Amino acid sequence: MPGDVLIFAEHLEGRVAPSTLEVIAVGRELGSRTGGHVRVVLFGHDVRSLADLLARYGTEVLLVDDPALAEYTPDGYGQAARAVVEGTKPGLILVAHTSEGYDLAPALAGVMDLPLVTNCLALRFDGERLVATRRLLNEKVQAEVEIASSRPIVATVRPGSTKPAGPAAGGTVTVTPVRIDPSKLRTRFLSIERPQVQDIDIGGADIIVSAGRGIQKRENLPLIEEFAKALGGVVGASRPLTDMDWLPKTRQVGQSGKTVRPKLYVACGISGAMQHVAGMKDASLIVAINTDPSAPIFEVAHVGIVADVLKLLPATLKELKG
Amino acid sequence: MPLNIVVCLKQIPNPDLQFQIASDGKDIKRDALNYKLNGADEYALEEAVRLKEKSGGRVVGLTAGPKRTDQMLREALAKGADEVVRIAFDEPAAYDVGKVSRILAAAIRTIPHDVVLTGVQSDDLVNSATGGLVAGFLGLPHASVVTRVEVKGGGLEVACELEGGLQRLYSIALPAVLTIQFGANTPRYAPLPAIMKAARQPIKELSPAALGFASWDAVPLPYAFAVRGLSPPAAKGHAEMITGTVDEQAKKLAQFLRDKGFARR
Repeated sequence: MPGDVLIFAEHLEGRVAPSTLEVIAVGRELGSRTGGHVRVVLFGHDVRSLADLLARYGTEVLLVDDPALAEYTPDGYGQAARAVVEGTKPGLILVAHTSEGYDLAPALAGVMDLPLVTNCLALRFDGERLVATRRLLNEKVQAEVEIASSRPIVATVRPGSTKPAGPAAGGTVTVTPVRIDPSKLRTRFLSIERPQVQDIDIGGADIIVSAGRGIQKRENLPLIEEFAKALGGVVGASRPLTDMDWLPKTRQVGQSGKTVRPKLYVACGISGAMQHVAGMKDASLIVAINTDPSAPIFEVAHVGIVADVLKLLPATLKELKG
Repeated sequence: MPLNIVVCLKQIPNPDLQFQIASDGKDIKRDALNYKLNGADEYALEEAVRLKEKSGGRVVGLTAGPKRTDQMLREALAKGADEVVRIAFDEPAAYDVGKVSRILAAAIRTIPHDVVLTGVQSDDLVNSATGGLVAGFLGLPHASVVTRVEVKGGGLEVACELEGGLQRLYSIALPAVLTIQFGANTPRYAPLPAIMKAARQPIKELSPAALGFASWDAVPLPYAFAVRGLSPPAAKGHAEMITGTVDEQAKKLAQFLRDKGFARR
């Protein structure tokens, strides 16, 4: 049998990560099909209230409390994760594909010599085999891969690919002591750093016109600004533009930037990589302009235009002013 | 403190292109692809060269790939790597990141290393797994999504990007594995003399035997992996498209924005 499911929860500053509830949904679904027991592991220090909160989603919660786990470190959580896997012997280990999740999961697979499949949109068992659906090459190709193993399989689940779990009865909290050897901790937490806010907050804007690599040159930014101004909106950006310092980090829309829900989002020359889409897919109206008809942005957009944004925007501005 | 730095590089098909599925459905068609150095690995390479410039030491560029990857390795030499090594692993697609990472780890064991760097993800397979796996296999501490690295007190201080623009700072003992995030630095252009010089530099090749494997098929794996099939993604939804010439599209878009109340009438 595929066995039990073990889920590693993620939390920061007293809050459970939304992606953890999505992974719980995936775990519960797989568990109900295979008959496996689903456990959610919570590492931390003085986090009983988070354990109680997680138990409302209907699974057994293993609470591992240790001062060494007060903050996430790859080493501390890695050591604790290994101990829990050895103690519970799951068939499948699920982690969200977040910065922290894809830090923890591959290293755990490496250290314990376990099979690994990451960034999965969907997971199912076909007999003994775990079948994972993944997206490749800028979302242009979908792949189904399978892994069969007698050892626990580690899988990471892409955030936003499943609905979060709803509350369910039957959850419990089991305090699970794990011995952490502090002499073996080689990474030490120093601090959490926040971006300095001295820019407009695009998170509160009703209208956002975002620029991506399709604008080609920094010199074309004023065109985007002019278009945003004509609509009474503000300028956002995809990651490559803030990486190149064309716009400040505070304008970045996406997983590593801001999540926005404006009334209108105009994506100019943005291909629509998962990391960007995660931050804007809930906008009420999405207009996408891109030269590539197969760009994944057209999957989330309501209105699409295959055109060079550098030609289309000036022409549209003329129409709007005319 | 001079550092021995190994940077793992990957050559990938340019993800901006269109792709077709091969007739057996197990790979993309590869006969006319344009390959490039993976985006995040460009930043990893730059970070490696900067660390060397500050602390002294050497940078070894490492890849597992077919002969075509020599071009990428020469680019790495021209941008500041002191030596490059190609593991002659010629599976063109290499879909199993676990296998490739086991091979990379075996090669890194044969190279002096204080710091192992790689990009946070490859833009073709988007696993974000190589760095962590390699760290696990080698028993080294690691940090992912690194945007800043500083040598401090015999170890490193790193900033790791989290969701929502937060960074988590760690100190980390050496030797260590780091995965470098996009935008961590500004990758340099290779100067022409360096490009000319790189064209003549040797590329060290590692065979399976050099890493203790009878063949690439004999790399021990605790699992069986297979690609079931590739397909064009089923579109979740699709935008309603505005067609026509640019002027026609502009006219329709302006009208649409007005109708929705987003522009003055």
